[in-house]
Amino acid sequence: MRVLVVEDDKDLNRQLVSALSEAGYAVDTAFDGEEGYYLGDTEPYDVVVLDIGLPKMDGISVLEQWRRSDRKMPVIILTARDRWSDKVAGMDAGADDYLAKPFHMEELLARMRAQVRRASGHAKSEIECGPVRLDTKSARVTCDGQQIKLTSHEYRLLAYLMHHNGRVVSRTELVEHLYDQDFDRDSNTIEVFIGRLRKKIPGDVIQTVRGLGYRMSDTPDEV
Amino acid sequence: MKFNSLAFRMFATSVVWTLLVLPLAGWLIYTLFRDDVQVGFDNNLIKLVDGIDVDAMATSGPEPLVPPNRYEPLFEVPNSGFYWQIKPLDLPGARVLTSRSLGDGRVPSPYELKYPSDKTGKRWKNTDGPDGKPIRMVEVVASLGYQADTPRYSIIVAGPFDWIEDLVKQFRARLFVALALAGLGLLAVTLVQIRFGLAPLRRVEQGLAAIRSGDARELKGDLPIEIEPLQEELNALIRSNDDIIERARTQVGNLAHALKTPLAVITNEARDTKSEFAAKVAEQAAIMRDQVNTYLDRARIAARASVSGRATPVLPVAEALVRALERINRDKGVAITLACPANVRFQGERQDLEEMLGNLLDNACKWCRSKVFLSVEAAPQTSRSASRRLTIAVEDDGKGLSADQRARIGKRGQRLDESTPGSGLGLSIVADFATTYRGTIALEASPHGGLRVILELPAA
Repeated sequence: MRVLVVEDDKDLNRQLVSALSEAGYAVDTAFDGEEGYYLGDTEPYDVVVLDIGLPKMDGISVLEQWRRSDRKMPVIILTARDRWSDKVAGMDAGADDYLAKPFHMEELLARMRAQVRRASGHAKSEIECGPVRLDTKSARVTCDGQQIKLTSHEYRLLAYLMHHNGRVVSRTELVEHLYDQDFDRDSNTIEVFIGRLRKKIPGDVIQTVRGLGYRMSDTPDEV
Repeated sequence: MKFNSLAFRMFATSVVWTLLVLPLAGWLIYTLFRDDVQVGFDNNLIKLVDGIDVDAMATSGPEPLVPPNRYEPLFEVPNSGFYWQIKPLDLPGARVLTSRSLGDGRVPSPYELKYPSDKTGKRWKNTDGPDGKPIRMVEVVASLGYQADTPRYSIIVAGPFDWIEDLVKQFRARLFVALALAGLGLLAVTLVQIRFGLAPLRRVEQGLAAIRSGDARELKGDLPIEIEPLQEELNALIRSNDDIIERARTQVGNLAHALKTPLAVITNEARDTKSEFAAKVAEQAAIMRDQVNTYLDRARIAARASVSGRATPVLPVAEALVRALERINRDKGVAITLACPANVRFQGERQDLEEMLGNLLDNACKWCRSKVFLSVEAAPQTSRSASRRLTIAVEDDGKGLSADQRARIGKRGQRLDESTPGSGLGLSIVADFATTYRGTIALEASPHGGLRVILELPAA
């Protein structure tokens, strides 16, 4: 999952990047509204954490412009302005959730998970796909009840595929959503990780759709 | 018209003046008229008595001549009220000459009754005639042939006096009616004058009412030069008040912003580090966060406009909050049912209504199963003087609270000093706002299963 953090406070920005990376997100970061707007407008993010009081361009304007140009990624507003008029303005500008500073990192992570899940159409915090079961809260993966140990990269890849199960996901999409913009993008690494995942998860859960990408499905015959 | 009002002062002055001047004028006119009539009557009597005096006395004979009636036909009509009488003063038993109207009757001589004479030597007396009707008579004393040694005679002419009294009485009645009408007219004019003259003040009053109810931001319209400075000063005061509030609000917002981000950094940093020191920092930062929130909320409440009220339509605020909260809680699938008439207006700041409604709805969304109900109504108005109220009820279909719990929370909301911010249902800030607006907050069990919070606030 790839996430954009737009926050002008350097310390908080650093903390967010570190906490979100630790939670398995690929994090891009921006320190002012213009940069944030540009990134959100050009890169595919699974969720955005947006401050309101930003230099150069305020968060509400950034959000409004994204929505105007049909950027639909979930946006969580993170701000010190916690009046209801601010919340209403934020939600009306197209935000999906609103978190007031100071906040608990766990709360932010929980809300981000919820937004990612909702955006991919999952209501529960546990996603199932055939024998494989992903608990987004604890980041645990089980197969037929057996816990599977995954590295952080493997988990990210599997989580993305599971969030979009039933749909063909291209390699490019995977690269875009799993790595931040500074990462050396080589789609071959994806194949390597897919190979490792297939070894750890028995059965033909991850299918290759030739020329298009990969697909996770609990009904393999459907291909 | 109130006792202590400009209108009353002007009206009372006018009434006092009218009550003083009109009777005085009436009395004066009445006196003048009466004297005038009297003088005319008297002059007529003088003319008659002089004529009879000359006719009767200008003789060299032994006794007065019977005067021919050249003057007054009524001397010939019995008991007409017009009489003459020539009576010898020095010859007792001598013949007394009278007009036919007097017949056998006699009138007393003022001379014999020792009435004083006026400057022209005439004596006047009001008395009753032979028929008992009032008469006024004048008497001259002349000697026969105007010789010094001839006998003197009393020559009296009398005229009926009652018609004068009737006339004066009639005049007095007419005068009274006329003056009373004039008085009423004056009062009516005064009232019109007051209404017209004080109309600008009434406009000021209406303007102030409009500002108070939030329909206007300042006094408008052309006012007379006497009260134009008042309008300007008031508008300046309102503007400066708005500025102060706006500045305070901005500073509170800035302070919030300036404090909360560093607090978030400290908190996160401390949580990432495992040490006694970090734990202490985290603990203290949490206390600071609560304190900052509490006092920022208080500061916001303190920055309220207390002088001029503003009218906030409730429906748009409620709709916006419902929209935002349904979006925030869409994973849970909360449906908020809104029942709010379009014309209900809250007498106060939009942001304050948002805070109260937002917090109540947020709580309801947190504790509900899937349904939240928001209903707003204008409380029925009892009388004109009583201020209008509106009631806002927020209900949910959750588990609700027991009566004990409700009582405890209600108490905590009321006793603001001991309330801990950020805990429980967060009703304390709502209660603070409600108190600021002289509103009330009550907790009940909702028929939908959960909690019902009823907020009563001033309406505009």
